[in-house]
Amino acid sequence: MNRTPADPRTSGDDARPPPRPPGLPIGQRSIRYHRPRAPFCGIGYCTNCLVRTDARLNVRACREGYPVDGVRPTSHAWPSPRWDLFAVFDGLFPHGIDTLRGFRRPAILVRAYQRVVRRLAGYATPRVATARAPAPPTQRRACEVLVIGQGTAGRAVADELRRRGVDPVMTVDRDRRRSEGAASPDLGRATAVFLPPPDPAQPHPLRCYVARDVGGLVEIASRRVVVATGGYDASLLFAGNDRPGVVTADGAVSLASAGFSPFSHAIVFGDGPRARDVLARFPREIAAIVAPNEIGPDLVAIAADRGIPLYPRSLLVRAEGRRGVRRVALRARGGGPLMTLEADGVVLAHRRIPHPQLFFQCGARMRWDPRPGAYRPVTDPTGATTVPGVYAVGFARESAVPSDAEGGARRTAEAIAAGAPPPGPEPLAPAEPLDPPHPLLGYYRELLAELGGREKWIACPCEDVLLSEIVEANERGYRGIEVVKRYTGLGTGLCQGRYCLPDALLILSILEGRPPSRVGYITQRPPVVPTRLADLAGIPGPEEGPS
Amino acid sequence: MKAERSEYRVVIVGAGVIGLYTAHHLARRGAGPILIVDRGFLSSGASGRNGGGVRQQWQTRATIRLARESVAAYRRFARDFGYNPWFRQSGYLFLAEDAAALERLGPVHELVRSEGLSSEWVDAAGVARHVPGIRPGAAVGGTYLGSDGTLYPFPVVWGLHDALRAAGVEILHGIEALGVERDGGRVRALQTSRGRIATPTVVNAAGGWSREFSERCGLAVANRATRHEILATEPLKPFLDPMVVRASDGLYFSQTMRGEIVGGLSPLADPTGSIAMSSSAGFLGRMARALVDLLPGLASVGVLRAWSGLYDDTPDGLPIVGEDPALSGFVHANGFGGHGMMLAPSSTERVARLVLGERIDLDPAEFGPGRFASTGSGRPTEALQLG
Ligand SMILES: Cc1cc2nc3c(=O)[nH]c(=O)nc-3n(C[C@H](O)[C@H](O)[C@H](O)COP(=O)(O)OP(=O)(O)OC[C@H]3O[C@@H](n4cnc5c(N)ncnc54)[C@H](O)[C@@H]3O)c2cc1C
Repeated sequence: MNRTPADPRTSGDDARPPPRPPGLPIGQRSIRYHRPRAPFCGIGYCTNCLVRTDARLNVRACREGYPVDGVRPTSHAWPSPRWDLFAVFDGLFPHGIDTLRGFRRPAILVRAYQRVVRRLAGYATPRVATARAPAPPTQRRACEVLVIGQGTAGRAVADELRRRGVDPVMTVDRDRRRSEGAASPDLGRATAVFLPPPDPAQPHPLRCYVARDVGGLVEIASRRVVVATGGYDASLLFAGNDRPGVVTADGAVSLASAGFSPFSHAIVFGDGPRARDVLARFPREIAAIVAPNEIGPDLVAIAADRGIPLYPRSLLVRAEGRRGVRRVALRARGGGPLMTLEADGVVLAHRRIPHPQLFFQCGARMRWDPRPGAYRPVTDPTGATTVPGVYAVGFARESAVPSDAEGGARRTAEAIAAGAPPPGPEPLAPAEPLDPPHPLLGYYRELLAELGGREKWIACPCEDVLLSEIVEANERGYRGIEVVKRYTGLGTGLCQGRYCLPDALLILSILEGRPPSRVGYITQRPPVVPTRLADLAGIPGPEEGPS
Repeated sequence: MKAERSEYRVVIVGAGVIGLYTAHHLARRGAGPILIVDRGFLSSGASGRNGGGVRQQWQTRATIRLARESVAAYRRFARDFGYNPWFRQSGYLFLAEDAAALERLGPVHELVRSEGLSSEWVDAAGVARHVPGIRPGAAVGGTYLGSDGTLYPFPVVWGLHDALRAAGVEILHGIEALGVERDGGRVRALQTSRGRIATPTVVNAAGGWSREFSERCGLAVANRATRHEILATEPLKPFLDPMVVRASDGLYFSQTMRGEIVGGLSPLADPTGSIAMSSSAGFLGRMARALVDLLPGLASVGVLRAWSGLYDDTPDGLPIVGEDPALSGFVHANGFGGHGMMLAPSSTERVARLVLGERIDLDPAEFGPGRFASTGSGRPTEALQLG
């Protein structure tokens, strides 16, 4: 396979990406309605760029460097993702397919329905390999401190710890921003997939399982774990939000770094620093800025300088176009006529969300942070969570400008280096603040009025769960995200809720008339990203003696 | 939410599949008013966490009959309740890894056949036909019953829930049952986190927490909850039809309608006895090893998520259906271990009849709550603790 280094942080921004054809790479079809999809998140979580390689069934093209030669998209579409006959389902079921109540009449056809529906589900076909494949045994490492994530904050912590003589410090990163010296043998790109609660009986109470991209699991035992996993750009609900050409800011950057020109005149949705990043990265390709609320003066100045029109306080109602975005429809907040803009892309840069999975897994007490509208761990001033030995730094802990993140990270490193005892199970937990309303709540309240009848708005792209299904669950009296998840299948796909949960919590908060934190959250289970059975098979079990 | 009345004919503790189905049978018989209380959300217990296996291969005649009735009920479920549980009768395959294991399958096979079910012996080649890609040598044979199957537990829960509300049964969530108020040796009321609810009959359908609730009512029981973990892989194109089970390590897995491989295996003894519904690295390792060893082609398949739930186990592996010998009006419908889904429709019909004072066809020596007090030998047991 033709691999190209895709990551700007590995290759450096001046490393020139290979020339690519304009437009979007890798076609893909959605799981239920076979709607056309193209790269969306660009960071290896969503389902939109699944391809197969010889070694693995479902890998994300974005993490493989968007290979172009010899790529087999998943076997889901027929005959090809571009011309997929099954796409008729999308048209045949304009209001969606009701798998909860459908396909049960007449009784004589039930078996046939089952056979057909089952055939249509599923992405890839496992290879029939009857020889026992050698499972790579889980490697074991031990260190004093493990730092997960090597962004600004993670690097600052690791540097400061080493400067203060803490040894050994190990680091892992999903994008391999930096490989480390002898104290921290390079694992390559590796994702922390499971951080169970500590076992105080062990000399190294914390045990983190890390999946390497090249295969194999590493069990890293440590006394402290610093979680510096940063955040990602969230999705947005609107009609056609799953169309090729709708990308998060992460996705746009990822595509551009790989040499693609994903759009020539896109709209940016957002009004904060992330929207500025997008404008800086795409100096000529942005046709308009649309924002849910007022747009700040610095963004206004940049836009004026470049002659980019602004649409503050606007609802992004729909993206239109058959195979990709051609137009977007907006409506001014508070009412007004529908406006149409020509655009071949939508870049979502309105909301950055921290990754909460590892904190939930290890049992840290979480709090609803109304600013991004997400869960973050409760911490003391040094970043210590309620789990002894587990710290949060950077964006994982709070939304702040990067310099603050570094400062905060250094304070965490100081505390660890000074040998501050891990605080007890409940350090300085602040009183639960009352939820101030999330800025998108009012926005979504207005947008819900646009949802005509049972139109197909995709709320969970991995599983093609519709917004109308969430509304229906609510109308049936089901309350709370846990029940709605089980009723609709929301959040059970390959991204495990990363892209649907943040919006679903706000929508449910509106429908249920209570703050998002009361809507609850889905228990975050291992693994953080799909992890190969062969890799997991290497975990030594308790039946094989004490570890 | 608060109960609409101050007094009910029956109050059921637990809105899992057992509590819901019990209420359904009661309501159909015109018993009322009925209230179900649950401290969690709908489907928060084992009924929303299981593997959906429905089998009729058992070690005792009574359970085979209960299971057969349940299969018939699930076949009708879509018609009766308007929800599609995707009950797929694509068989259960019991794998034998060696000759001794194969021999151990014999008695069940005979018993099942004598009940008129078409259990078949399969040889290694037959196993390979049922489980394409199985490692040669991984199984010498097994038994297969094609009318067993799998279903999705959630539509069963929603269907029952809808039907019960339509029938006027009250279902309240977020209410914890704390104990009972007695009148001599009789139940007079249920004590809850929202106050007292008068009733002559309390049904303990609290699943993995049934022991806790019984103890809160001052009753000694033999139930013990154990945590069982389970995982699901990425969705694959269909290649596997039956539920595959192996008695030696309790391995079970099937491929769902969505294409995911879903399964688990018997937990190792946990000295802490924790019933926190957490996930462990040890389980992920054991389960992945078992799957990859059996089906090497799955090596490159990703695990999407793991979760866990509670089995409500009994010493003999059989459920408990009956009135408590020490407290009249207190009815047990628990101890379903890993089989509550597959036994619910039929066994709860007995619970309902019992509540209404009718005679039932379950031998108290086999299913009654008092059976553990007598140490009589020769009582039937069910060693097949499998999904
Ligand atoms: C991993 C796993 C796999 C399984 N696989 C299968 C399978 O393949 N086939 C099969 O047939 N079965 C299977 N089972 C077993 C099956 O799921 C259970 O036997 C069945 O769901 C039990 O239903 P229930 O209603 O008794 O309990 P639950 O569904 O657990 O419901 C009990 C309810 O009681 C409530 N409750 C408890 N205490 C109180 C209280 N004091 N006050 C108020 N409410 C209370 C709880 O909140 C809960 O909602 C499996 C179970 C697990 C865990």
